[in-house]
Amino acid sequence: MGSIRVISSALRPPKLRSAGREAGRLALAFVGALTVFGAFVIAKGANPLTVYSDMVRSTFFNSNSVAGVLVKACPLILAALAVAVPARAGLVNVGGEGQIVIGAVAAGGVGLALDTHVSGGMVIILMLLAGAAAGAIWAGIAGVLRLTLRVNEAISTLLLNYVAIDILLYLIYQPWKDPHGSGQPVTRQLAVPARLPLVGGTQVHVGIFIAIIATLVIWFLMERTSWGFRLRVVGGNSEAARRAGLPVNKLLLSAMLVGGALAGLGGMVHFAGAELQLRAGMTANLGYIAFLASWLARHKPINVAIAALLLASIAVAGDSLQINSGLPAATVNVLMGLVLVAVMGGWELRRKAVAA
Amino acid sequence: MRARRMMAAVGAAVALLGAACSSNTTAGTAAPTGSSGSTAAPGLGGTAVGFIFVGPKNDYGYNQAAYDGSQAVKAAFPNLKVLTAENVPEDDNATRVMNSMVSQGAKIIFATSYGHLNPAEQVAAAHPDVVVVQQGNIITGTVAPKNMGTYFGTVYEPVYLAGIAAGKATKTNKLGYVYAFPISQSIDNIDAFELGAQSVNPAAKTVVVNTSAWCDPGKQTLAANNLLSQGVDVITQHQDCTATIIKATEAAGKYSVGYHADASALAPKGWLTGSEWNWGPLYTDIVKTILAGNFTGSKYNANYRVGYKTGDNPFVQSKFGPSVTDETKTLMATAKANLAKADFSPFKGPVMDQSGSVIPGFEAGKVPDYATIENLTTFVQGIVGQIPKS
Amino acid sequence: MSLVLDVAAGAVGGGTSILYAALGETISERAGVINLGTEGCMLVGALTGYAVAAMTGNPWFGVVAGAGAGGALAALHAMLVIERKASQLASGLVMLFVGLGITSLFGGSFVSRTINAFTPIALPGLSKIPGLGKVLFDHDALTYLSFLMAPAIWWLLFRSRWGLLIRGAGERGEVLAAYGYSPKTIQYLAVVAGGALAGVGGAQLSTAYTNSWFEGMTAGRGFIAVALVIFAAWDPLKAIAGAYLFGAALALSPALQARGYALNQFALDALPYVITVLVLVVLSRKRLHAAPEGLIRTLANAPVR
Repeated sequence: MGSIRVISSALRPPKLRSAGREAGRLALAFVGALTVFGAFVIAKGANPLTVYSDMVRSTFFNSNSVAGVLVKACPLILAALAVAVPARAGLVNVGGEGQIVIGAVAAGGVGLALDTHVSGGMVIILMLLAGAAAGAIWAGIAGVLRLTLRVNEAISTLLLNYVAIDILLYLIYQPWKDPHGSGQPVTRQLAVPARLPLVGGTQVHVGIFIAIIATLVIWFLMERTSWGFRLRVVGGNSEAARRAGLPVNKLLLSAMLVGGALAGLGGMVHFAGAELQLRAGMTANLGYIAFLASWLARHKPINVAIAALLLASIAVAGDSLQINSGLPAATVNVLMGLVLVAVMGGWELRRKAVAA
Repeated sequence: MRARRMMAAVGAAVALLGAACSSNTTAGTAAPTGSSGSTAAPGLGGTAVGFIFVGPKNDYGYNQAAYDGSQAVKAAFPNLKVLTAENVPEDDNATRVMNSMVSQGAKIIFATSYGHLNPAEQVAAAHPDVVVVQQGNIITGTVAPKNMGTYFGTVYEPVYLAGIAAGKATKTNKLGYVYAFPISQSIDNIDAFELGAQSVNPAAKTVVVNTSAWCDPGKQTLAANNLLSQGVDVITQHQDCTATIIKATEAAGKYSVGYHADASALAPKGWLTGSEWNWGPLYTDIVKTILAGNFTGSKYNANYRVGYKTGDNPFVQSKFGPSVTDETKTLMATAKANLAKADFSPFKGPVMDQSGSVIPGFEAGKVPDYATIENLTTFVQGIVGQIPKS
Repeated sequence: MSLVLDVAAGAVGGGTSILYAALGETISERAGVINLGTEGCMLVGALTGYAVAAMTGNPWFGVVAGAGAGGALAALHAMLVIERKASQLASGLVMLFVGLGITSLFGGSFVSRTINAFTPIALPGLSKIPGLGKVLFDHDALTYLSFLMAPAIWWLLFRSRWGLLIRGAGERGEVLAAYGYSPKTIQYLAVVAGGALAGVGGAQLSTAYTNSWFEGMTAGRGFIAVALVIFAAWDPLKAIAGAYLFGAALALSPALQARGYALNQFALDALPYVITVLVLVVLSRKRLHAAPEGLIRTLANAPVR
């Protein structure tokens, strides 16, 4: 009985009539955030209208900035999908940051060992595999701990972030440090043939296609395969799913592994497409921003990618805040925070409306 | 139905992936596209000058000094807009920010952090009509690109002078040096500081601690406390933000030697002296050279280093603290006069490494040039501590 | 002084700000609300504390203001998760970014300011105890206060009526409601108290330990505090040991370097986190679920709506 109810609730079609209303509320939240941020801008002695028009002009009407948004969006989209897939099964993956790092480390290890010996295309394929595998293993640790020892995966993925970052730091401070470098704790740069190729004459690397393809594939898997369907059933009520005969543990673990692989892939494209060397601070909270992106889009793959693109745009818009308006660089964090607060503040309204 | 449509989309994306791709290159290997040709001198015709800083522009240290320099450019060239960006990481973010500045009319860009070299080279390669100058790092290879150069002051010279003050002031013969990473600038400064101290006090040792960060006050406090507990009684540093260590040293009643900025107000009792940047005149001269169309082939179109020997150095020695004796001041004045001479250097041979053997290139009687000193990768005899190896 | 004592003294000095934040987070999590934005609360506490100390000349005003600022940011978190039922983890991360941004926006002018900072007070008698004296009794007033704060919060949580209510709100909210208490109000108070203590931790960092303000100066200490709460199994007394263990990991490298040894400390830095994971494993093995039930429920159900 219970299982039937769970399955039917997973099958229930989305409420289309509330979609438009929800978009309206999101827009309202966005305007509210911009208004409050405008007050901050005035407090710092700048004109908010000028600030906003400069931001839009220099972020969206400038090919360099658009390229910057896409470059930033690559690892964000992948790491956000890495949150979305486990979330469908009711798992919380706060470990995007660590999975990105470990993916980049694995790709870096493979890439820097082989890039001068093997053809570039081969190195790229091996780096993709290594990054994805490392991310999957990193998330898999949390998955196995959850399934065998009931260690909460939100906590363990969070803790594993620090371990991953310390592994990166350990490697770049000594064993992998560029011996011919300047003394800074960085590896040497990846050889040109092993880097992700750029698209046309722009700064955008092909990682963006990897992110887009991953989004479509995950959408397909989530919405159109029995795996995705079963994950949602498990996410709805794992006890009922178990009674209905679903292999719950296998499903949960597969969700973590796929998620980790996506984030690891994000680390790889960030390393081989943009950073080109391993560096302290190379993730710059990408994993946490990705968590917010997935949450913002309520874990629906296509929306998740769009949300990641939105947050990447806000990050790049921060350039304009300081170049044009002379505001401190981190001011953009206030803008991002306010947008998210506003969206969250609107949540309950939406839920009430649906209930009514 | 939808599945098939999605597969088609994936297929299209894969096809796109194959088409129109170019290799992901840094400076030197990329053929510039859409260049304005080599007829005009690089750097001309812009409406703005761009500056990027790795830290906050009000760090009371390195980045503030560079920011102050940018404001001097603003004052000197009222027709040019000065664009600044702080907290710019040393990666593709730097490339993007500099490109943004170019698209806003900047034809001259100052990349002011050591680690900004790679992005600076990329931007210079992509925009042959834009001059990119980088502060403190070294362009390797035989010739610098026509629109690129590095500049720095031989700041180890005033640091050497400060070492003299420290060597005379110490009672325990233990000096402390807090640094971030073993980059060549830091190694030069630490070595010169110890050599300066040794020149007046052969028993003086310098104990080094790295924080692995340009500005982490918590780690700075720990570093200072540990140096103090080892009996160090003069502390100096190579950090971007300097206030924390100076305040801790002053609170312990010990001596401070400053760096980057005048922090004597933070240590009214223990302040000895220090080395400060004064970038304004150099930045202004670089911009003037570029605007005159003379950048390519000029001294700035290379690894330009300037110090006491040329006179127009971008640093000043900080004011003296109350405890500095006339004898010390005289010793420092003599050394300063010597530094201006061609046959003297803080690193005049023989210079020994920590094991006591002479460092190649620093043999007895040799006066190494700036490039040799900048390539130094070892601590000299008298320094307590190891360079993390790679 | 010997290496061990130097590291121990560094662990206490550097661990205090983390301890405050961890104590605050313990209260909050005991009431069933996790705050990943502890780092943000520490940052606003650090800046506000420093700024108010600079403006008033009295660091105690700074600490009070720092507590207020940390509490205010936590109140926003509480509002979003309690009233708006937002995901606790997501809302906490948002607080992190808000804290980073606001302190950067308003902190610049205070970098070059000086304050009357808290200075170490060697406690008469106690500081003369060989070894221990230097490690424990030669610190600033806020460090001494933290010695008292940890047992006080333990008492509050496990021996007082308030503690019963806080833990009740985190575990059996419906029971509290049945007895006429409002679990919401109690959760609000706990989350705000948690943020306030994180603010005190930040203020300790700026007005006592480092005597300076710089952008981003907490450098991950707030995240360490969140991990530490788990390490300490939501027990304020164990949090003391945890804070000093994390502090010692930070203190070891400079202590060795000052004696002439180089060390790649990062393998070591990972150790406390690995230990924390192992602690979790051991706890689950023993079936001793130390985590507040409500917290487990929220974590397990957070993302899927």
